[in-house]
Amino acid sequence: MNFKCPVCKKEWKNSLQVARHMFGTGDKPHKTWVDEQGKTQGFTFIDLMIEQATTPGNKSYVMLAELIEKAQDKL
Amino acid sequence: MNKYTVINPHSEFKVINTHVHNIDGTAKVTGRATYTFDVKLPNMLYGKILRSPHAHAKILKIDYSRAMELPGVMGVVTGKEDTLGIKQGIWRRYQDLCDEQVLPVDKVRYIGEPVAAVAAITEEIAEKALDYIDVDYEVLPGVYEPLDAIKKDAPEIHEGFERNINVTRHIEWGDVDAAFEEAEYVREDWFKCGGQAHMCMETRAAVSSYTPDGKLTIYHSNQSPYYMQGLMAGVLGMREGDIRVISTYVGGGFGGKFELDGAIFCSAVLSRKLFKPVKIVYTREEDFIATKRRTPMFYYVRTGVKKDGTFCAREAKVFTNGGAYTGMGATALYLTGFFHSFPYRWKGYRYDGYRVYTNTLPSTSMRGFGAPQAMFCSEQQIEWIAADLGLDPIDMRRKNSHHEGYEVPGQATIASCGIDQCYDEIRKWINDKGKLPANRAIGISACGFMSGGIFNWFDTPYSFSSAVVSINQDGTVELFVGAQEIGQGSNTTLAIICAETLGVKIEDIKVHSGDTDYCPPDLGAWGSRQTLMAGNAVKMAAEAAKKQLLEFAYAQSGFNIVYDLDIKDRWVHAIARPERGYDYGELVKKAIRGKDGQKIVGRGYYTPHRKGMISPAYSYMLQGVEVEVDEETGKIKLVDSMTAHDCGQPINHLGLIGQLEGAFSMAAGYGYLEYMPYEDGKLMNPNLVDYKMIRATEMPPANIAEIDTYEPEGPYGAKEAGEGLTNPTAAAIGNALFHRFGIQMKECPITPEMILNALKEKKETEKERKGKK
Amino acid sequence: MEKQLLRLTVNGQEYELYINPKTLLVEAIRDHIGLIGTKRGCDTVSCGACTVMIDGASVKSCSVLAMQAEGAQITTIEGLEKNGKLAPIQKAFLDHGSYQCGFCAPGMIMSAQALLNENPAPTEWEIREGIEGNICRCTGYNSIVRAIDATAKGKYAEVKS
Ligand code: FES
Ligand code: FES
Ligand SMILES: [Zn+2]
Repeated sequence: MNFKCPVCKKEWKNSLQVARHMFGTGDKPHKTWVDEQGKTQGFTFIDLMIEQATTPGNKSYVMLAELIEKAQDKL
Repeated sequence: MNKYTVINPHSEFKVINTHVHNIDGTAKVTGRATYTFDVKLPNMLYGKILRSPHAHAKILKIDYSRAMELPGVMGVVTGKEDTLGIKQGIWRRYQDLCDEQVLPVDKVRYIGEPVAAVAAITEEIAEKALDYIDVDYEVLPGVYEPLDAIKKDAPEIHEGFERNINVTRHIEWGDVDAAFEEAEYVREDWFKCGGQAHMCMETRAAVSSYTPDGKLTIYHSNQSPYYMQGLMAGVLGMREGDIRVISTYVGGGFGGKFELDGAIFCSAVLSRKLFKPVKIVYTREEDFIATKRRTPMFYYVRTGVKKDGTFCAREAKVFTNGGAYTGMGATALYLTGFFHSFPYRWKGYRYDGYRVYTNTLPSTSMRGFGAPQAMFCSEQQIEWIAADLGLDPIDMRRKNSHHEGYEVPGQATIASCGIDQCYDEIRKWINDKGKLPANRAIGISACGFMSGGIFNWFDTPYSFSSAVVSINQDGTVELFVGAQEIGQGSNTTLAIICAETLGVKIEDIKVHSGDTDYCPPDLGAWGSRQTLMAGNAVKMAAEAAKKQLLEFAYAQSGFNIVYDLDIKDRWVHAIARPERGYDYGELVKKAIRGKDGQKIVGRGYYTPHRKGMISPAYSYMLQGVEVEVDEETGKIKLVDSMTAHDCGQPINHLGLIGQLEGAFSMAAGYGYLEYMPYEDGKLMNPNLVDYKMIRATEMPPANIAEIDTYEPEGPYGAKEAGEGLTNPTAAAIGNALFHRFGIQMKECPITPEMILNALKEKKETEKERKGKK
Repeated sequence: MEKQLLRLTVNGQEYELYINPKTLLVEAIRDHIGLIGTKRGCDTVSCGACTVMIDGASVKSCSVLAMQAEGAQITTIEGLEKNGKLAPIQKAFLDHGSYQCGFCAPGMIMSAQALLNENPAPTEWEIREGIEGNICRCTGYNSIVRAIDATAKGKYAEVKS
């Protein structure tokens, strides 16, 4: 199954790639979507992005990928 | 002294690539050339700018009443009282990136930022008046390094920019993770690349004259009069057409003179208030602390290759020190990421760039536009990988290089590429040297560069380049271009293209540029765009004019229509019968008569379409530098250099050599001399005693082997020449040190201390290793 | 400060100036006499853009007071050409493309001329040392060195007929 970007609906084979796309694009709509998700859990788009860029591993990507997977049904 | 060779030249031209003197030359060698620095208008006042001593502070109150009492002081302007407070930026299509009030209304963000400006009858009085302007600041905590500025508790420099992230950029192609899986060897490194001052010999300078009829004329030292006109209209709330920008002779640009600076903005605001011409010239210190600079960058590079040296994947993360404002920094952030992949084929490539605001001098474009930083990291790491794997560094590079017809996935199609021959030339140069003295080593570095950007962030409704050719009755030609001459020789290059196309002599062409009232709009001199873009526009305009002439020639010749007529060297003739022709001047006279007395006028333009994401064409080069190092002092001396270079068809022979040598000197300076140390946001060496750069005694021979290729998108096959060569040298110097001592230089400029530290460290690890044994 | 009367001889022409005794020579030349071929590029006597010749030797005109040049023969870039004929060194600069933006050229050419006055047959290294005080941000100097070398070798000398 393919995964869709919850904002612009572009598709990729796995959710990690969608997460990467969302960080990479980083425009207002993509940012806002992540910020909305993070509200309850206390993180923002920029927090995740900086975490990803400054620490080894893929923690932020994986976190975002999970959110994206959860959001797939609603798309 | 210097060798210049052309490898397989293939074309026969009358003017192109011949020994043509710079058409502005006589004015320049006799002292007749007048720069903005020299402009003096009747009734002119002199302006000075009061600058912030704080890196980050709120402006609470500005009281200039004491200054106004000084005899000779005519007026003072502040952001709050005299400007519209418009946040501007050269990326004007994107509101978010328009973040700079040249005279800020309520907050300063770096030391040296303008706070107020004063005009007086002499420069001395204006200078003195600055001491009598009282400013109340509320000093705020500052942050100076990008990796500090992204921390959660860092001071906020621009409202709403979380963690001071200004712009981010992502470039990706291929399945990067899969490509890394394929790799048999992976290496990762962190690098730190410094800033660099443009250090134009003519400091920022402007003379603005606002008149009661609501018109503004500005003499200004810049790289794009059209941008200045557009930006000034925006900040002053005026119509573009009511503003005239004149930039006849410009004392250097190098990427630092196509944004609004304090000189142009403050002089215009003062002039508008006082209705007199106002001149502002920056001192050298102001030029250092309050213009912009090459972008300092932190680079993380991870590269995966196969054991046989085949490149698989690369991933880069970059944090740049954006300083206080965006400027052209957003473009530099993209280009550094793109050229970091050059000139190689990567199955998977991923780049993430983060531009971070800090309370330091804003950073922006500078010759090379992000690529010198990219290459410093890339080309050294590649050298180390070759050594780690025991492979020949030239062979490994060659195997992975771009070639004609290669498509950088989703980004660019390479129509011409001479890098392969570059490897041969450099190999030959190295072999010819034989064994080097013990204190010397050679380092090499490859790279490529663009020939003009295709993006329209300025949101211009005009074509990117335009030209008008107008032929007088005696056959002399007026060539009007919006392209800007800043010393790179564009007027001469465009005159050559015009002369070649029309079939006349170089001395028949008069070039008009640097005046928005008379010249067609053009994006100006940056991103190595003018030879290709303005060159195409000029070629098209000249062809249009020539066609009108040849129509008359045909009508009168009585030749069968299958014959081709042409003009070469002012000689009108059938190509099959060149001896039976007549003078071009005669033809022009007749053609004008036949047109009911109208002048022969041709128009041309260039707008890129479907040329990928970056540029219509790319230059390629490989450089070798022979470096001597004093082990006691860590001092570097460049002994010799050779660059094999592919710029397509060379157009302006003398100009090309000059550009290549000049770019090399600037690149060498970036590699080991030009250092911009900051302490708490304050630049520690804002003068030419302490800011070291290449002088005549430090400059080695800059030999060139020009690989003659043909670029289909360029005029007569030409592409970029003057900028790309800023890119390889820092890495080549680093690679020489690696080969000499086995040390890895991860920071540039490479200062003597860094070398000594690296040598010490190396000795210590060696000792440790021995101890363990 | 009291202004003073000063007589300066520039390019063979005598000028009477009534100026502040602290006026620098470069200011007298540019701002008072109006010969703006001579440039300025720094505030620390480091760039050479202001170089002129005093009695045939190169001097950075931002480093001396106008008063100190009284009675001497000052030559600026405007004084090199004679009756519309360029001096050999100027021709050489043209022919070798030894300038780009041209802002350093007036000072550079004066340094070059002074060097040749003093040492008509300089080695390459002597040429480089001779112009070490002049910064050129554009050319990388080698074309300048070639031009000076060719001039010294007589390539641009006036052929007397
Ligand atoms: S102006 Fe720089 S040395 Fe005189
Ligand atoms: S030609 Fe520009 S500084 Fe020398
Ligand atoms: Zn999306």
